[in-house]
Amino acid sequence: MMEVTQQLREQAKKLLEEKKADIVIGFGQGTELTRTTPIFINSPEETQDLVWNAFCANNLVKYLVDCNNESNNVAVVVKGCDSRAVNRLLVDQQIDRNKVIVIGIPCPGQLDWHKAADKIDPAAQLKEVINNEDSFTVKTDSGDYEFPKKDYLLQKCLSCENPNPVVADITIGKEQPVKNYEERFGEIQKLEELLTEEKSNYWDKKFSRCLRCYACRNVCPACTCRECFVDQMKPMWVSKRNNLSENTAFHLTRAFHVAGRCVDCGECDRVCPVDIPLRNLNRKLLKDIGDLFETPTPGSIEDLASPLGEFKTDDPEEFM
Amino acid sequence: MDTRVVNKGQLPELLDKLAQDYTLFAPVCEDETVTLFKQVSGAQEITLDYTNSDVSPKGCFFPQTEKTLTYTNTGDKLEINNVCEEEKTVVFGIRPCDIKSILALDPVFHGKFVDEYYTNKRENTTIIGLSCQKVASTCFCTAFNSGPCDGSGSDLMFTELGDKYFVEVNTEKGRVLVDAYSQFFGTQDTDQLAKAKAEHEKKLSGQFVRKVDLDGVKEVLDNNFELPYWEKVFEKCLGCGICTFVCPTCHCFDIFDLTNGLFTGERYRCWDSCMFPDFTLMAGGHNPRPTQKERVRNRFMHKLKYHMDRYNLDGCVGCGRCIAKCPVNIDITAIIKDLKEVGQNG
Repeated sequence: MMEVTQQLREQAKKLLEEKKADIVIGFGQGTELTRTTPIFINSPEETQDLVWNAFCANNLVKYLVDCNNESNNVAVVVKGCDSRAVNRLLVDQQIDRNKVIVIGIPCPGQLDWHKAADKIDPAAQLKEVINNEDSFTVKTDSGDYEFPKKDYLLQKCLSCENPNPVVADITIGKEQPVKNYEERFGEIQKLEELLTEEKSNYWDKKFSRCLRCYACRNVCPACTCRECFVDQMKPMWVSKRNNLSENTAFHLTRAFHVAGRCVDCGECDRVCPVDIPLRNLNRKLLKDIGDLFETPTPGSIEDLASPLGEFKTDDPEEFM
Repeated sequence: MDTRVVNKGQLPELLDKLAQDYTLFAPVCEDETVTLFKQVSGAQEITLDYTNSDVSPKGCFFPQTEKTLTYTNTGDKLEINNVCEEEKTVVFGIRPCDIKSILALDPVFHGKFVDEYYTNKRENTTIIGLSCQKVASTCFCTAFNSGPCDGSGSDLMFTELGDKYFVEVNTEKGRVLVDAYSQFFGTQDTDQLAKAKAEHEKKLSGQFVRKVDLDGVKEVLDNNFELPYWEKVFEKCLGCGICTFVCPTCHCFDIFDLTNGLFTGERYRCWDSCMFPDFTLMAGGHNPRPTQKERVRNRFMHKLKYHMDRYNLDGCVGCGRCIAKCPVNIDITAIIKDLKEVGQNG
């Protein structure tokens, strides 16, 4: 993956030098070997800080929403899943295509950094990550570590729809094969088979421990409201009280708000500090909308309007 | 020092008894991944196999949601009922960093102004600390003159050593509990165990990866409210409340009333976060911390300066939760290091 990193640095440098981009948003080495951190680069020299490895989990597309009001041209590094968010934000007119340069990197999957960190000497320094077909080799100054993909990938990467970016101005690296270690909606089907009471118990337990930190909302590329309903005081849809009722109201309302626009990037799931499997909630809606309206995952095709945000005069529903 | 020993095999029985006689808070593992302090009804629910809990136990003293009063307006009379119940409580299994955080909260809620809700819980609670068995890669409690086996602030301090728990009785409250359950607390081999604890502590102390040096950092902040450095830090911040909600020393709250019609209602106090835009939003629409830059700066100023200014205590205890949980890897130890450099090189 060193080769991709080198090319990425060169391309980013070129964009900044030629003044095609004012900022490049990419991944930099994090404070632990197994982490990267979003970096915002505005000078050609700093492009040396860019990295590409198996710890680039963040979806950086969300930052484009904040940059949209500025006159800057912004280049952003995207994986396949992230790229769907670019298309979605374009359809919602949240970003200006003329001001965004998409640097797409075909993605071989990303490792769950918590799981990987447990195995690696915490004092070690990262040398390189090698992508093998079914594993990653993480080379460090205190030895090499092998991580089989089926055991160490992020949950979302176990079944990946688009490893290759669906929209990109510049593509760096080889096209990656679609590889599924898990059935795409396998977990959702299991949940669907539960009795109503069992489903309720499943979610009650999870929502009870929600801290209402709103990380799931803030990281979400489908959450672009200027004022979120949970922050509204008049009327107060959800109060600040942390209890099952209020927490459930927050999560279910949010799930319905992003239904038809959720690109299934899995960021809500990844950032939750108390491991609420939020993606299961959104994926249930994704599956149902896909079945009912026969539409692909939002963002996977350019100019794809949300099935719930579009009106058709020939709609088969009589009441329309 | 008064020291005792508890056989590991007898701990579940002791915890069951404590759960019967007290409101018992202890670490509970949910879905095999998340450890939280919760009220438990017995040893069976408790996990002791954890490095540190995902969310700090500050909620045992300062709950995320607390009903403080109810009121009834009968037309000519307003009746206010203060909701402040006294419950004898034991918190079992708190790690040294989290015990230290409670000491940092004490002057906030029980200083010049006495907050009866916190004080009531604090006075009625016996804290049983538990020494660490592992050091996480994010831990840095040693930067704050503490350590993985530091029992200061606890009433009783337990340290797991082989098939025994070595127990240090640190306060009168602790002694009362030991006396009440004397059948569990032996006195044999305590000298030997004290030595074993020192060994254990030494072993763990060598496992810290993060070397954090705070020397001079506060001075940099004292002299520089406006630092261009914050421009760099805040850019990637998503503005969520993870760092403040998992933090054991963050203590900001909001108060609001929930009215049931015109005549009755309840007042609540809930955790709030300085990372949220509406935290400082005023009624007229003005926001003195208008962007995430000011909010991020405020959080680190609070941890590294303001708490020290106000109470002469560290505002951070090095538990490392904010580092482990931040979705974009904003790392307080990296910020401390950077601020030192700013101080040295301008």
